[in-house]
Amino acid sequence: MTRHRVWVYGDDVNTDVIFPGKYTYTLKTPAELAAHALEDLDPAFAAGVRPGDIIVAGRNWGCGSSREQAVTALKHAGVNILIAESFSGLYFRNCINQGVLPLVIAGLRNLVQTGDEIEVDLEAGIVVAAGQQFAVPTLSPSVRAILDAGGLVPMLQARFAAGASS
Amino acid sequence: MASEVKAQRPRTLFEKVWANHEVRPQTKDLPAVLYIDLHLVHEVTSPQAFSELRARGLKVRRPTQTLATMDHSTPTTPRNDQGIIPVLDMQAAAQLDVMRKNAADFGIPLFDLGTANQGIVHVIGPEQGLTQPGMTIVCGDSHTSTHGAFGALAFGIGTSEVAHVLATQCLIQNKPKTMAIRVDGRLGPGVTAKDIILAIIAKIGVGGGTGYVVEYMGEAIRSLSMEGRMTICNMSIEGGARAGMVAPDDTTFEYIAGRPAAPKGEAWDRAVAQWRELPTDEGATFDAEVTLDANELEPMITYGTNPGMGMPITGYIPDPDQERDPSKKLALDKALRYMDLRPNEPLLGKKIDVVFVGSCTNSRISDLREAARMIQGRKVAEGVRMMVVPGSQQVKRQAEAEGLHEIFKAAGAEWREAGCSMCIAMNGDQLQPGQYAVSTSNRNFEGRQGKGGRTFLASPLTAVATAINGVITDPREMMEMAY
Repeated sequence: MTRHRVWVYGDDVNTDVIFPGKYTYTLKTPAELAAHALEDLDPAFAAGVRPGDIIVAGRNWGCGSSREQAVTALKHAGVNILIAESFSGLYFRNCINQGVLPLVIAGLRNLVQTGDEIEVDLEAGIVVAAGQQFAVPTLSPSVRAILDAGGLVPMLQARFAAGASS
Repeated sequence: MASEVKAQRPRTLFEKVWANHEVRPQTKDLPAVLYIDLHLVHEVTSPQAFSELRARGLKVRRPTQTLATMDHSTPTTPRNDQGIIPVLDMQAAAQLDVMRKNAADFGIPLFDLGTANQGIVHVIGPEQGLTQPGMTIVCGDSHTSTHGAFGALAFGIGTSEVAHVLATQCLIQNKPKTMAIRVDGRLGPGVTAKDIILAIIAKIGVGGGTGYVVEYMGEAIRSLSMEGRMTICNMSIEGGARAGMVAPDDTTFEYIAGRPAAPKGEAWDRAVAQWRELPTDEGATFDAEVTLDANELEPMITYGTNPGMGMPITGYIPDPDQERDPSKKLALDKALRYMDLRPNEPLLGKKIDVVFVGSCTNSRISDLREAARMIQGRKVAEGVRMMVVPGSQQVKRQAEAEGLHEIFKAAGAEWREAGCSMCIAMNGDQLQPGQYAVSTSNRNFEGRQGKGGRTFLASPLTAVATAINGVITDPREMMEMAY
């Protein structure tokens, strides 16, 4: 069981406010990406985020662009787990492909506020927030394999290196 | 083969295209491996993917099934005396150079800035005849759904997946669910494809299509030109859908015929015969169905900060206090504060600062013809900036051959070079804080068109009518005057 501080947001948070399009070619280093994460959603986030913090959101987190920096900016800011009522399809895939864990858990976000702490036990498959226990959705073996490899491209390279055909 | 196909259960367009591209079918534990026919690449989402390939010693598996262009960070300012489009921003220039180097090093064809075929990635694919029915098409860009207008399965991917497709020409995919969106009836005057898709998204919401591939069908869709169908499919992602598709028909084949990459001679006949097999079979079922009546549609406009916050142009801004869902109430309240709008007021008559006609949603020749027809003999209102940004160099040449650019310039609008421009405001074309714009693009997110900028999404007709009056205007008023 590990303890994590949470940042809580609403529904339909789009990739433009997670990481603005205009920065996608001007900012490249992990530190630069992290410094602008959620800039147009929550100006306090980039300065206040600490490694291990978790984002808790409502429905359809990450709608909009396919830009993967909307995931990597958070990853470089130290966020390795996001919990939402639902994710946009592209954002969900980008999380997996970057080795960031997107958890679909309903009913949690109204129990916590930014700055609260929740507990996570991935081995046991549970999240505890405000004294309530939530089950972590089971990951398919293929998603597990990508996450374990640290992302999609690292997995692909490992397979090429091993000479696998698929 | 034909009898074998007929013996199967009825299938949707999507299911046929999916099945034709399964390298390995999906199992209980493993996703499918899907073959990709066409991979489109642009300068913004590809550099990290090429870096990954280099770092890991990987090659591009099928360079000839890959095409690169430059569109997002390219300037759209008019050419200088030497016919060159000046790139003012050093970082943008560096990024364009990276695209050139990557294309050259990996043997990928590139439509470079300033060359005859450059343009927005979702305009040039169809324009070249590369986008064809039954194909799988991907690009590191969410509006790749545009190409579904041809009966292709086309969707956006992230940069890790761009690297994966470059290296393998395949993608790992879970099979999406299917949704039919049927639009029956006929559109009234002044109501366009853009209004259909804004009405659909207002109905299903920005997350309503999540997990689905949508097939648009019904009389109103069948009656649209290919360019109208592209406008609809383009914004599928704004409803959360993985992709949008329209069954190919004679309208589709006529559009493709004779384009540079279209099959020729006997190969054309064979291709058309195959394409005619693609439409959804009688009796095939969808996981979800939505219907709209085109007869009831009005020109649409958004009032909020996502594309689902839209209403008929004659409508009144919704009141957060009437919203029972607390999180929707919060979102609406926040959106109206950002937009500095008040509930229960109309948008008609609202003063605006900028009109943008362009983007992968509405920058094709038919969009520009409609816009020009309305503005001909009229002027952009004083104090309003109107930009017209063609989707590609080819669209630009065609428009100029028809004299459309002179109509725009005479009206006081800016006629610019091809690119994404103010849709995403990465290239310097942007709103100032607090400005209001009516935009024919696809996203009205906070800051999308410039920090603090406020966007109303609408059709080219509504945009032009608004530019002329300087206030949000129902285009039908202006059409009565014009016709």
